[in-house]
Amino acid sequence: MLKRLLPLLITMTFVAAACGGSEQLQIDGLAAEINPEECVDGSGKEVTIYSGRTENLIEPVLEAFACATGVSVQVRWGSSTQLALLIDEEGKRTAADVFLSRSPGPVGFLESKDLLGTIDDSVLNLVGEENRSAEGSWIGFSGRKRVLVRNVDMVSDADLPTSVFDLTADKWRGKVAIPGTNGSFVDWFTVFRDQYGTDVAAQWLNDMVDNDARYYPNNRSIVEATGRGEIEMGLVNHYYNYQEVAASGDEHRARNHDLDDDDIGSLLIITAATVLDSSKNSEAANDLLAFLLTEPVQSYFTNRTFEYPLAAGVEPNPALPALTALEIGSVDFDALGGGFEETARIIEASGIQNQ
Amino acid sequence: MTRTRAPRELRTIGLIGSLAFAFPGLYLIWRNFTSGADPLGLLFDTQTLEPFWRTVRLAVLVSASAAALGTALAWCTTRTDLSFRRLWRVILPIPLVFPTFIGAAAFIRTLNPGGLANDVLGAIGINETPELRGLLGAWLVLTLFCYPYVYLPVAARLRQLPGSFEQSALILGDTAAQAFRRVVLRQISGSLTAGTLLVFLYTISDFGAVQLMRYDTLTRAIESNYLARPPMAFALSLILLIFAGLVVLAERAVNRRLPEVTSRRISQPVIYALGRWKAAATLLVGGTLLFGVIAPSAALIDWAADGLLRTQRGGRPLTINFSKVVEAATNTLTSSVITGLVALLAVAPIAFLVGRYRDRIGHVAHSIVIATFAVPGILIALSLRFWTLKSGFFGDLLYNSMALLIFAYVVRFGSLAMGTALVAVKTVPDGLHDAASTLGADRWRRFRSVDLPVMRPGLLAAAGLVILSTMKELPISLIIAPIGFPTLTTRIFGSFEDAFVAEAGIMAVVLVCASALLSWFLVLRRADHL
Repeated sequence: MLKRLLPLLITMTFVAAACGGSEQLQIDGLAAEINPEECVDGSGKEVTIYSGRTENLIEPVLEAFACATGVSVQVRWGSSTQLALLIDEEGKRTAADVFLSRSPGPVGFLESKDLLGTIDDSVLNLVGEENRSAEGSWIGFSGRKRVLVRNVDMVSDADLPTSVFDLTADKWRGKVAIPGTNGSFVDWFTVFRDQYGTDVAAQWLNDMVDNDARYYPNNRSIVEATGRGEIEMGLVNHYYNYQEVAASGDEHRARNHDLDDDDIGSLLIITAATVLDSSKNSEAANDLLAFLLTEPVQSYFTNRTFEYPLAAGVEPNPALPALTALEIGSVDFDALGGGFEETARIIEASGIQNQ
Repeated sequence: MTRTRAPRELRTIGLIGSLAFAFPGLYLIWRNFTSGADPLGLLFDTQTLEPFWRTVRLAVLVSASAAALGTALAWCTTRTDLSFRRLWRVILPIPLVFPTFIGAAAFIRTLNPGGLANDVLGAIGINETPELRGLLGAWLVLTLFCYPYVYLPVAARLRQLPGSFEQSALILGDTAAQAFRRVVLRQISGSLTAGTLLVFLYTISDFGAVQLMRYDTLTRAIESNYLARPPMAFALSLILLIFAGLVVLAERAVNRRLPEVTSRRISQPVIYALGRWKAAATLLVGGTLLFGVIAPSAALIDWAADGLLRTQRGGRPLTINFSKVVEAATNTLTSSVITGLVALLAVAPIAFLVGRYRDRIGHVAHSIVIATFAVPGILIALSLRFWTLKSGFFGDLLYNSMALLIFAYVVRFGSLAMGTALVAVKTVPDGLHDAASTLGADRWRRFRSVDLPVMRPGLLAAAGLVILSTMKELPISLIIAPIGFPTLTTRIFGSFEDAFVAEAGIMAVVLVCASALLSWFLVLRRADHL
C-alpha cells in the first residue's frame, strides 16, 4: 500500500513546493486598487499578523501594505476568539506582532492579561478618541452597526419598531432572533449594561426570553434565516445583509432596518487592531496600523466591504445609513463591574441559549 | 494458542505513544489547577447539569441510530445483490468529509422553510416542511454525518468474514434474519462497538452541528466561556474528557464479554438475493444518500453556481482564483494522506499490544487514544502549542512545521484508526502465526507475509476514516498549521464567516470531490480484494 501511495505523495509535495515559489512582489485586483503604485523593493522588515478578520476582506489590504512598504507580511487566519486564546497560551513568546479582531471582546481579554503593547501616539491620533483605548493599547479601524434585519415580505415598513425596548411587546412574540452567545452580541450587551445599568439590561434580556425571542448561534445564520423567511426579524451587525444581497440580489428577502439613532440597538461596534507587547517588529507593526487608517484603505472598507470608515476623513458609503450612533470605543471595559464575566453570567442565566 | 509477553521494544513504543496522546488530557488537568477551576463544584450546578444531560441524551440517540444505519448500509452493500453496490460503496463514506459547521448550514438551507427542497416540494403541492432544530435537528444531522464511523469498519469486516458459519446456520434452518442475529452480529460485534463508540465520542465533542441546530450542549457552554470565564471552560472540558474516559472503559467491559472472532475468509461470503426487499434496501441506501450527501451538496453547488453566474453577469467578483483553490486542495490532500499513514503507524503498536499480547500498557494507551477523541479540536491545538512552548529547543524546532501539524492531527484522529486496527490485529489467526514461526520466519517476515495481508482491509478502512476526517478538520488547521498553509477547510471557514457563500461553496464542492476520489482509491479499490 505504502509503495503505491508514495509516488502520489512525492508528486503532491512537488506540486506544493512549486506553488510556494516567491518572486518580485506583484499585486492585482482589489490590492492594486488600494495601492496603484509600483511595488517597492523588500525592506528586510517583517511583520506577523494573527487576523480574526477573514482573508476575503483583509488580504487585499495586507498585500497592498506589503507592496507599498516592502515589509514582508505573514498571516495566521482564524477566529478572533481562538487567536486570542492562542496568544494567551503563547504569552511573551508569541510569533504575533499584530492582532486584528472582529470585535472588542477578544481585545479586552488580551488587555486583561497584560499582553498588549502601547501603540505610537502618531498612529493613535489618526482616529478619534472614542475609537481608541485611553491606555493606547488598541485602535478601531472600521465599524459595524447594530441593526434589526427583517424579512420584507413578512414585516411591513409601517410596523417597524424604533427601539430594542419595543421588541418585548406581545406583537413581536416569537418573531425576533437573538444571537445570544455570539461575540458581537456579547460585546453589545456589555455596553448596554454600561449605558443603562445591569438591572435594566438583564431585565430586557429576560423579557425577550419571556417573549419567545429565538436563539441563533451567530449574525450570519440570522440574516440567512431571515432571508429565507424562517424568522421575521433579528438583531445583528449591519454588514452581513450587504454581503448576502451582493451575493444573491433580490432573491434574498431580508433588508436592514435602523432603529432610532440614540437607541442602544444602533450601536457602532468597531473592529480593533493591536500591537503585542512582546513584538520585536513594533515599528513595522505601527506602520501597518497607520496604513489601515489611510484614505485608500478606509475607502476600501466602506466601498467594498460595506463597513463604516473611522479615519482619514473618508465618508461612509452612501448605501449605508447615516451614522450618529453611540460608538463602542467610548466604553471603558475595566470600569464595568465584572466586565465580560458578568455579561456571560447574565446571558447564561437568562436561558436565551435554549430558546 | 500461545500468548507470549509483548516484546520490550513494542511496549516502549506503546508507552511513548500513549504519552503523546495524553498531551491534551494532561494540559486540561494542568489548566484546571492553575486557573482555579472547580470542576467538582460545577458538577452539582444545574447550569452545568442541564447541558450535560442534553449532551448525553443526544449522544445516546445518535449512537443508536448511526449504529443501526451504518450496519444496515454495510450489510446491504456487501452482502446482498443490491444494484450499483460498487458505486454506493464509493459514495457512502462521503458525509464524513462535511465540516459540520457548513454541512449543517447547507442542510438547514436546503430543507428548512424557504430552502431549495421547499421550492421542489412546493412544485408538487407540498408547502409545509418541518423546521429542523433542537434535539430532532441535531440528531438527524449528526446521524447522517456520523454513520460512516460505523459503516466503514463494519463493511470492511463483513467483506472479510467467513461465510461458513452463516451457511451452516442457513442450512440448519435459520432465516436470514436469524442467521444475522446469531452469527453475523457476533462476528462484527468488535467493529460495531468500536464504531459506535466513535459516534458517541464525536457527538459529545461536536460544536458545529449542535450550535446551528440550536441544541444547547456542553460544547456550546465551553465555547462561549473561553474568553469570559476561562476556568469554567477548562472545568467543563475536563468533565467532558472524564465522561469520555468512563464511556471508553464501559465499552471495553462490554466488548470483553463478546465472543472473539479470530478467523479470516476462507470461503466466499454469503450473498443474499434481496427479492421483494430490493425496493426497501434501495430506498434505505438512496434515502441516506439523498439526505446525507445530495441535499447538502445541492446547497453547496447552488452557492458555487450562484457565485460563478454572478461574476459572469458582472456582479461582485470572486475573492478566490484557480491557483488558490489548487493550493488549498493540494495542502488538504497532502496533509490528510500523510496523517492517515502516520496515524496507522502510531496506533498499530498499541493495537498489537492489546490485540495480540493483552498487555497492560497497551490497554491504558488504547483508552487514552480513544477518549482523546472527545476533546474539542481547539483544546488539542492549544495543548500542543502549550507543550511545544514548554519543551524548549525541541519545541522551537517543531514550531510552525508540518511535522507538528501532522502530529496534532494524529492526536485528534488516531482514535478513529485505533478500534478498526485492533479488530484487524485480532483477525489474524494465532494458528497461522504459529505455523509461520514453526517454519522459521522471523518476526518481520511473519508481519509482512502473515499479518499484513490479513489486516489490510481493516487498516485501509482505518486510514480512510482518519483521512476523511482530517480533510475537514478546522481548529487545528487554523492554529497549528505553518503560517501560509491554507487548507480547503480554513478557506471555507474564512469565506463562510463573512457570508462569502459562493467562495465557501466552491471550496466545499472541491472538498467533496476530493474526498470521493480518495474514497474510491482507498476504501473501495484497495479494500475490495484480500
